[in-house]
Amino acid sequence: MHAFQQQFWAVRDYLSPVLKESKFKEHGRINPEEFVAAGDFLAYKFPVWTWEKADTGKMRDFLPADKQYLMTRGVPCLRRANALAYTDADEDAERMISFGELSSTGKEEDEWVETHAGRPVASDSATELGVIDDIPDVDDQLSHAMADTSLSAKGGEPADIPDIDEIPDMEEEDLEDEDDAAVAAPKVISPVVGVIDGSEVEVAKGNLLQVRTYDVLISYDKYYQTPRLWLIGYDENRTPLTPSQIFQDISVEHAKKTVTIEPFPHSNSLQAASVHPCRHAEVMKKVIERMNTSVIEEQHAKKKSSGTASPKDRQPKKPFFRRASGNNVKESLEEDVEGMRVDFYLVVFLKFIASIVPTIEVDSTTAF
Amino acid sequence: MTIIQFQPFASLVEPAFWHALTNLKIDVLKLADDHVPLTATYTSGRTIVDRETGKEIALGCNLTLAGDAFSETPHIPPYAVPAHGIVKNYNTIEEFKAADKTALFNEFSDELWKSIQDGSTDKLTRFLLITFADLKKYKYFYWFAFPAFVAKPAWEIDGEWQSASQVLGDKTLVSVRTSIHSNLPPFFLVRTDGSEPKVAPVADFVKFFDGVPAEHRTIAFVDPSAQPSNPGWPLRNLLAFLAHRHPSLVADGVRVLCWRDDKVPHDGHWKSRFGVVKGVANVQGTGEKPSAVGWEKNVQGKLGPRLADLAPMMDPVRLADQAV
Repeated sequence: MHAFQQQFWAVRDYLSPVLKESKFKEHGRINPEEFVAAGDFLAYKFPVWTWEKADTGKMRDFLPADKQYLMTRGVPCLRRANALAYTDADEDAERMISFGELSSTGKEEDEWVETHAGRPVASDSATELGVIDDIPDVDDQLSHAMADTSLSAKGGEPADIPDIDEIPDMEEEDLEDEDDAAVAAPKVISPVVGVIDGSEVEVAKGNLLQVRTYDVLISYDKYYQTPRLWLIGYDENRTPLTPSQIFQDISVEHAKKTVTIEPFPHSNSLQAASVHPCRHAEVMKKVIERMNTSVIEEQHAKKKSSGTASPKDRQPKKPFFRRASGNNVKESLEEDVEGMRVDFYLVVFLKFIASIVPTIEVDSTTAF
Repeated sequence: MTIIQFQPFASLVEPAFWHALTNLKIDVLKLADDHVPLTATYTSGRTIVDRETGKEIALGCNLTLAGDAFSETPHIPPYAVPAHGIVKNYNTIEEFKAADKTALFNEFSDELWKSIQDGSTDKLTRFLLITFADLKKYKYFYWFAFPAFVAKPAWEIDGEWQSASQVLGDKTLVSVRTSIHSNLPPFFLVRTDGSEPKVAPVADFVKFFDGVPAEHRTIAFVDPSAQPSNPGWPLRNLLAFLAHRHPSLVADGVRVLCWRDDKVPHDGHWKSRFGVVKGVANVQGTGEKPSAVGWEKNVQGKLGPRLADLAPMMDPVRLADQAV
């Protein structure tokens, strides 16, 4: 028996250094190893996410060379967030969204409130596309300059189309003499089957749905010790979005404060819109606490029943919260329930990000 | 019988590609304007359910150029297949305007036709890109061409495009997905005569389909289109290939599977489409190159170049204004 215990201590000792810095439940921050673990889990569970390498000279040595940041391409964004201005009248539009596999218990704690569900599009002038108000907390001169920029950056007006004068006058209709009947018309009306073109949906009077897409990147911010989100957007004509256009897809509360255009840390040249991570740890801590409580409760419940239940029932139903030592029966019985595992961190992070960019479908987990 | 309307490719160029092109021009090409090979990718057609209307909306039939397009071993994103092409960058806007695009296009499509005659499907989805980079202003003028051979008379569909799961059955689709999942081929053959469906590359056509009844032979391709009744652009050249290499098949009707499912749908709603395509194998024997089309239209819907203006994201002066 003693020999067995020694073996157990040896294993525990071997494992502990990996876990010792894990404090994500206390303060919401994660270390690089945890970022990699959470990223691996995200990429495994949702293969649209992949690990990417950094440009030459932009590698951070605390992360593996082939796991510098996470990326997913072509994330759709059907509507502009500033067209979703939130008012008190919409309070009842809140909807509980289930947490994927988490809510298998049907317990309410597992569910989240989604505030902007099924609401008609606000059409008051304050939400006009492309208009960015003055930025608070800046001195007057600067905010004047800002106002000018947003005007000249010409948001959702037809000026979206690059200056026509600038495009060389070289329309060449005679390039293709064939009258090609076999090309699908730009707008295909297909009432028979369910799938339709975005341009067939009218979102407001005269405004058709403009489907943008985003490349979404997640890097690890060493200073804040949290993941950091980056966005590169394209309009419905696949033209890169300007900063002011990107701000249209960020919820009003955040667009003015926390989102800026900055050089992407793993690229020599790329600029992207980034959600500043200064408050991430705080928010993540709250979210994790809330989730952790319900997870622990559930694990306790399972533990109590595990004495009598068949071994099959003891198998964790949710791979997310499997105990790290789940394959060591003795250990799992002795140790306290672990609660939420850090692997799940990025999945939770994306749900939190979804509240900042409500119309960009970054949270692929609901699709499962 | 209805004429098939193909969904053209829509180019999507990531800003990272323009940076790569800039570096290539400054460090390697300098003033040379030779053709440079590069690789783009496309995925199977995607749809998204609109949360407000509950409608399923088709996303674009995109061909994406990423930052590592010039790499010899570019990173292919999950569920994507590569498409190879060439880029020709001009030094001045005048040269860009004056370029003989018809000649370029013909030269390029000749090469494509030759590959079909050689019996290879590797080059069926190719693209030609001409660019002019105004480096100081962060402006990039570009024009894509996705050459496709025109069939005369046009390809027709027998009946309508149907849900592939209705025609072939869910079991077959699951099995096909398992076969191609780990290494997605742009084009492939499916044979359903045995107990388990089998998958093979198009090059094995004769051997693979030897003795297989027509109703069990299916030709499939990764379909970048998400429109229910419009197959994507790659099918055009695949059909041209079949018309030339296997004319008898084309006259009887080709069973085509438009592969659009990157994962097994959890709700049983498969997106892949199926149809029987008929055409006249008019190119058989002669080997003469059919005419080709495929210049991309610009934002105004005209045949003309597009402009990517990265200044708002790159120009230090404008970024300084934007910074809070």
